[in-house]
Amino acid sequence: MTNNVEQEIISIIADVSGFDKDEITPEKNIVQDLEVDSIKAIEITVAIEKKFKVSIRDEDVPKIVSVKQAVELVERLLSKVH
Amino acid sequence: MPQPHGKNYDVIIIGAGISGLVCGCYLAKGGMKVLLAEQHFKPGGYCTAFKRGGFTFDAAAHCFGGYRKNGVTKKIFKDLGIERRLKIKKNDPSDTVITPDYRISYWADIDKTIEEFNNFFPQEANNVKKFFSFLLNPDPSSFSRMRHGTFKDLLDQYFANETLKTLLSAPLLGLGGLPPALMSAFIGAKLFSEFLLDGGYHPVGGMQALPNALAERFKELGGELLLSCPIKKIKVEDNEVRGVIFKNGGFASAPFVVSNCDARQTFLKLLGSKMIEKEFYLKLKSMTPSISNFIVYLGLDGYFKSLSKPGTTICSFQHYDLNRAYRSIREANMERYGGYMYYVSQDIPTVLAIIPAPYKNRSYWKNNKRQFLNSFIDRLEQYSIPGLKKHIIYKDAATPQTLHRYTANYRGASFGWAGTPSQLALSDFKKPSFVKGLYLTGHWTTHGLGISGVVYVGHDIAQMILRKRRNVINPD
Repeated sequence: MTNNVEQEIISIIADVSGFDKDEITPEKNIVQDLEVDSIKAIEITVAIEKKFKVSIRDEDVPKIVSVKQAVELVERLLSKVH
Repeated sequence: MPQPHGKNYDVIIIGAGISGLVCGCYLAKGGMKVLLAEQHFKPGGYCTAFKRGGFTFDAAAHCFGGYRKNGVTKKIFKDLGIERRLKIKKNDPSDTVITPDYRISYWADIDKTIEEFNNFFPQEANNVKKFFSFLLNPDPSSFSRMRHGTFKDLLDQYFANETLKTLLSAPLLGLGGLPPALMSAFIGAKLFSEFLLDGGYHPVGGMQALPNALAERFKELGGELLLSCPIKKIKVEDNEVRGVIFKNGGFASAPFVVSNCDARQTFLKLLGSKMIEKEFYLKLKSMTPSISNFIVYLGLDGYFKSLSKPGTTICSFQHYDLNRAYRSIREANMERYGGYMYYVSQDIPTVLAIIPAPYKNRSYWKNNKRQFLNSFIDRLEQYSIPGLKKHIIYKDAATPQTLHRYTANYRGASFGWAGTPSQLALSDFKKPSFVKGLYLTGHWTTHGLGISGVVYVGHDIAQMILRKRRNVINPD
């Protein structure tokens, strides 16, 4: 489960940021290491919400700093759904 | 048809719109061997000019935004050394919204603009100020909220007065082709901040100067630009881009292809529907393009008193029902639409006037263009420029068919995909996952609206490709 969520999120971040999947490791800082600006952050959020059919709270979006935090947040949301 | 000098390139870009040119400049600057192929005989896409009857007219785009300090257009033009090749002026006011009861201008001094709103709507005084400062400097959580909802939802958070909300939305119907209830909050906010709060920039000599300067810079950086050079196919093998096939049958290879054409044409014609994943194909087919425009070009015998201030875009509406206006576009009913945008050029006495229009087929516009043009002039004279007709020495118009013919934008769409919430920020439209090495840039990528938008995407795509290449050269 974790692995799948992580792989999907990495794949979304790769599409949006243009970084290769193997460059995107869980501890990477999305803004600093992966050069994601505010527009791309929206793009990633929209893609994650569509992919996992979850709704991320607006105030939680700016709190996502690392890839790992994004994965943990989605896992939390998914566990609430199921 | 012109022939490319080489057979092998690092990147081939199809389409020399502003986005393709910016992307090409960055790639060439990064040391890549770039071919940029454009079907038209001049660069610019919607940002071109043409000469008729002794006048030079901007074809469609007539100004740009995002040129304040740290604005996206400013940063990129400076970075590419374009800024010092052009003399860029800001119109002040950049825009004026005029209805039967109101006249509100957007000034370079934002406090002056706020004051104008306050005079008409004193009970909302603080709200206008709050709204503008949010647009120019949004807090992260509210910024992310804009991915959902419409521009109307956003306005409802700030304002109570419905007329005020209409006045704030009216220019966006012209700039983005949607009423507030249908436009994505994010798109609306972007258009508002880039075009109204920081808009009205234009190069002296007309808009063609902009693509020309970018094209010159591109060539200086070692890029190869081929005009009048349509592309027939993007060649793909084993889900990887191999190059392009020219209309005359020639082939040039490249591991990266960037399409600055419309998305449908890129996927359905240049790539071919067999190359597309089914899920994506269905999505593509279900997407809605933005509206097109009918553009009137008038050459005048001089400047006269009833003309508006040269350079300022006038957004005129004779009523306050933007939903009604939007619904009337499909019927090509100018009277029901009840509005238009126009501006008087600063360089020579010309008027460019724009009204949203439906695509319709060639014979429709052949039969109706003249009548549509003449009633548009009647309305301009009646509501905005008394005595206009006796000063006209040249008149012509571009229909949605014309826009399609020159730029190959699907159905003459003016802004790429319609900027609705459901069509916001779809990443597979700039980098489809099923073909390696293919990128899209320009307003069909779902985030680039207007010149500042497409400049941003062009730069972004170039950075993505340069990063890929670095990884190939230095795998560690």
